[in-house]
Amino acid sequence: MADATPTPVPATPAAPATPDRGRPVLVVDDVHLKYKTYGGKRRTRSSRLPGWAQGFTQGVGAVDMVHAVKGVSFVAHHGESIGLIGHNGSGKSTLLRAVAGAMPVSSGAIYTDGVASLLGVSGALIKNLSGERNIILGCLALGLKPDEVAQHYDEVVEFADIGEFVRLPMEAYSSGMGARLRFAISTAASPDILMIDEALATGDASFKARSQRRIDEIRERAGTVLLVSHSMGTIKETCDRVLWLDSGVLRADGDPDEVIEAYMETQRKKVEAAKK
Amino acid sequence: MSAEPVADQQGRLPEEVGHSLKEIAERHGLRQVGGRPRLGAYLKGLLERRHFALVLARSQAYSQNQGSYLGQAWNILNPLINAAVYLTIFGYVLKTDRGVENYIAYLLVGVFFFQFVTRAITLGSKAVVGNTGLVNSLQFPRALLPISTVLTELIAFLPAIVVLLVLMPISGEPLRWWWLALPGAVALMHLWGTGMAFLLARLVVEVRDVANLIPFAMRALMYFSGVFFSITSYAGSGLLGTVLEYQPVAVYLQLARTCLMVEAEPSASLWIAAAAWAFGTLLVGFLFFWRAEAKYGRG
Repeated sequence: MADATPTPVPATPAAPATPDRGRPVLVVDDVHLKYKTYGGKRRTRSSRLPGWAQGFTQGVGAVDMVHAVKGVSFVAHHGESIGLIGHNGSGKSTLLRAVAGAMPVSSGAIYTDGVASLLGVSGALIKNLSGERNIILGCLALGLKPDEVAQHYDEVVEFADIGEFVRLPMEAYSSGMGARLRFAISTAASPDILMIDEALATGDASFKARSQRRIDEIRERAGTVLLVSHSMGTIKETCDRVLWLDSGVLRADGDPDEVIEAYMETQRKKVEAAKK
Repeated sequence: MSAEPVADQQGRLPEEVGHSLKEIAERHGLRQVGGRPRLGAYLKGLLERRHFALVLARSQAYSQNQGSYLGQAWNILNPLINAAVYLTIFGYVLKTDRGVENYIAYLLVGVFFFQFVTRAITLGSKAVVGNTGLVNSLQFPRALLPISTVLTELIAFLPAIVVLLVLMPISGEPLRWWWLALPGAVALMHLWGTGMAFLLARLVVEVRDVANLIPFAMRALMYFSGVFFSITSYAGSGLLGTVLEYQPVAVYLQLARTCLMVEAEPSASLWIAAAAWAFGTLLVGFLFFWRAEAKYGRG
């Protein structure tokens, strides 16, 4: 009765005030990811075989198991934008593929709410087909109905800004064009969880600005964005939380400035060590 | 210590602290990603993405012939040249026409239909490992890949059937009502091919080396299926002859001949065998493929 003024709630940083805010949309529970790779094998230090025999094992039975993600756990909520940072090969892309359902987990579990769409630079599309066909295929694969594809088609072409190239096979595209088209397709369906793998690094300034706007839209409408990038600038601009993966292990999870600072610190040490 | 914020709360909001991640997921009705869905849900998912399978198949069939000046004309040229080569070799050089009156028609049907079988099986076996781009970036019921791959071959096969229907009267076969049964024979063969693609696609995922053996199996199959000679005339009608006659590829080739050729007697037992092989293989193959759904994409 006396409390006319509401008790001040501690402000959650950079959170758009949507009604769904705070509902968990992605849970990653102690996930391990392993995959087989063919055509090459790491040399084990313990191998006492002579050189020629080691050469033989490179050519026959050259199948190796990569343990890319080792026990990662986190929960993501509606409205969050999460950056994933770490060295090359730390398991960032593999983790995104697993969240997209494209790679089965070896142990642990991933739970999502709705559609998770992965946008990768080395993407989904078929290179000897025209951009036109790839747009239709991509949208159908994302689960759109044929009439919805027709609705979104013009929008995708316009956003990708590839002009007459839409009729040529994708192998004729520059890497920027390919990245733009893939971005346009994967955001056509306005997914509940949008995952972006380094895509913002490609493309010219105007496309960067447009794609940034599109990501903001998706965040407002749908929810969660997961972004993998080596550009700390992009991460700071886009994300309100950062996960740091180090050789498949989650090293830090929290405020972007703090995590990036800690990550850069180890980077600096590595660079200095390399100079010596 | 504070330089590296440790992920002890894993991003839990204050009200979620103390609950396990699994509890949080379940309380908010999140669904687990991956794994093997129940059969009903899997079939429903397949049905929902049927347009994807169809467009993928049409696009792939179209792109097969795109890398040349003549482009889509190769759809017609390919079967024509193929027929000419086989007619030269087996009709004039090797003369394996014992027991066949219209050898040209016999050979054409055999070669065209066997071509479909070869392609459906060879490419179907690579349906999952050959589409890593799609598998690694999108989530959909993986059974769509074998389905779409064999559908691609069916679409590419249709112009060949038209060529065949034009060549039949030229070779001396009259137009008959039985021609109308040909789509049925093709459909049964297509279902059988899809079943085989399911079986082999999973086997190749498990052991990739299987894909290296398939060309040899196909070559052997060509000689055991009566593509260019009559099985009953060469293997007799004993046990060996009967086994060879009722193995699936021979069944489909012979079935097509009973539709198109006067000398090939239509027989109920042939249709029953064709249907049994088709639905049996499809059912077993589909279940076999579905059981490993959680494995595809792990390399």
